[in-house]
Amino acid sequence: MLDRNSIAFVAVVLTLGATAWTSDARAWDDALYPDLKGQWRVVGGPMRFDPNKPWGPGQEAPLTPEYQAIFEANLKAQAVGGQGTTPTYTCLSPGMPRVTNGYGQIEFVVTPDTTHVLVQHIHDNRRIFTDGRNWPADVEPSFLGYSIGKWVDADGDGRYDQLEVETRYFKGPRAFNSSGIPLHNDNQTVVKERIFLDRSDRDLLHNQVTVTDNALTRPWTVSKRYRREPDRQPFWREVNCAENNNHVEIGKENYMMSADGLLMPTRKDQRPPDLRYFNAEATGAVKR
Amino acid sequence: MLNRILISAMRLTVALLMSVGVAAAFDDSQYPNLKGQWIRERNPAGVTGQGPFDPTKSWGHSQQAPLTPEYRAKFEESLADQAEGGPGLWPGARCLPPGMPAMMTNFRPMEIIVKPETTWILIDHIHETHRRIFTDGRRWPEWVEPTFDGYSIGRWIDTDGDGRFDTLEVETRHFKGPRTFEPSGMPLHDDSQTVIMERIYLDKADPNLLHDEMTVIDNALTKPWTVDKKFRRVNEARPYWPEDICAEGQAMIHVGKETYWVAGDGNLMPVKKGQAPPDLRYFKQSAK
Repeated sequence: MLDRNSIAFVAVVLTLGATAWTSDARAWDDALYPDLKGQWRVVGGPMRFDPNKPWGPGQEAPLTPEYQAIFEANLKAQAVGGQGTTPTYTCLSPGMPRVTNGYGQIEFVVTPDTTHVLVQHIHDNRRIFTDGRNWPADVEPSFLGYSIGKWVDADGDGRYDQLEVETRYFKGPRAFNSSGIPLHNDNQTVVKERIFLDRSDRDLLHNQVTVTDNALTRPWTVSKRYRREPDRQPFWREVNCAENNNHVEIGKENYMMSADGLLMPTRKDQRPPDLRYFNAEATGAVKR
Repeated sequence: MLNRILISAMRLTVALLMSVGVAAAFDDSQYPNLKGQWIRERNPAGVTGQGPFDPTKSWGHSQQAPLTPEYRAKFEESLADQAEGGPGLWPGARCLPPGMPAMMTNFRPMEIIVKPETTWILIDHIHETHRRIFTDGRRWPEWVEPTFDGYSIGRWIDTDGDGRFDTLEVETRHFKGPRTFEPSGMPLHDDSQTVIMERIYLDKADPNLLHDEMTVIDNALTKPWTVDKKFRRVNEARPYWPEDICAEGQAMIHVGKETYWVAGDGNLMPVKKGQAPPDLRYFKQSAK
């Protein structure tokens, strides 16, 4: 039978336990999530979608014959000074899946409802909604798509260790990388990712990316890795694509601005822009 | 009288309760609830213009900006250029980021993420801005690469003594330009020695109204300029986050110091009466 002291002790224990439980219920326990803090940079550079293969044709992208032809025409265009199928020279977003190439410094900000992926590049930031939402019936298409994710405890230790993501609702044009491997014009792409820390190296982050797209003969899976920078107060470089961008796009033609601020061709024998809307007097005043 | 065994048991129990979970969790209840989507509070009746810096006054001259004579003259030139069809000094016309302080006019929805070491402000407008306000107690670095958004250090304070933080005080330095206060082109000084102080807090009577009391110290001004910017929390549990890419569908192009327009048929147009076309000296062929 419990004496009065023991009863008092039990009451205190129950009160402390209740208080602790209440505090945990209010607070978000980020200890349940992997530590993704800090600055991350892609391993092997951002130029290749599959970082384990050479750039360009060496990627061996499983393209349909139609899109293989588009890719090769794009390579020829680039070879003579054009931009091919990759639109980022005009500061359009690389879009998904290309932003997973890791063009800039990356930061992951994990909150209960959303994991933010912040990238110091053209327009590469993503929101991965982890609030349990269903796929909306209608979403305005975007270059980066709409991402829904869920945290998974793959090893059963009571802590989340993987983020599974699916991304849909795209618009284009988008390419896999700067060589211009194209995605389909119908923008029916679905991108799936598994993001997780390496078990033996907690400063190495893996992203297994699988792309399903009608430009491909089959789903294309690649494994990307990102390395955490050791500096606990890293420098975040501000990247502004429009700043000092010498590309000038007029209609469907791409030109370049020279160092003296004048328009230049980017291909041999490229015609200058049509000046039909400039009156004769103003046109005649231009030096040739 | 409590026996020694009971006392030991109590000590051990309390120690265990204190160690399990509570200390590890980030107690976000210590911070104001800034979750959700924030948009610019509706301007008072009669206030006009595109995102006036002082939201209580119309843009342009009505701002009564305390500009020095030199920078008032620059401002008047900007207004005159805009009246003729040009972009004036507003950097957004070139898809350059508005930077601080103009970005806090909230031309697009804003999200604020609070963690112990950093508060992020995410605004996708012209430039995909993710301001980082470092609240980890760091000192000002000896050197920082200048940026349009600047480098921000902040601290949370409890002004009403209720044991919870309620105000974020921020100082931002280390800028580059060009920057203007608002789209009218009201300029900040070319020396980019701006210092911006902010006090960010929820309205005491309305927790869905956020204040950003901002004071700008700049050599284009005759005195510090203080305004109270207000933001309204959107009443939507899962708000839509628009993707804003300045370059997409951008018809305004720049060649050297001149601004032109790309017509619906893809041909170049003047933006001002009598404007000369671009110099085409580097082209061998004539236009069609």
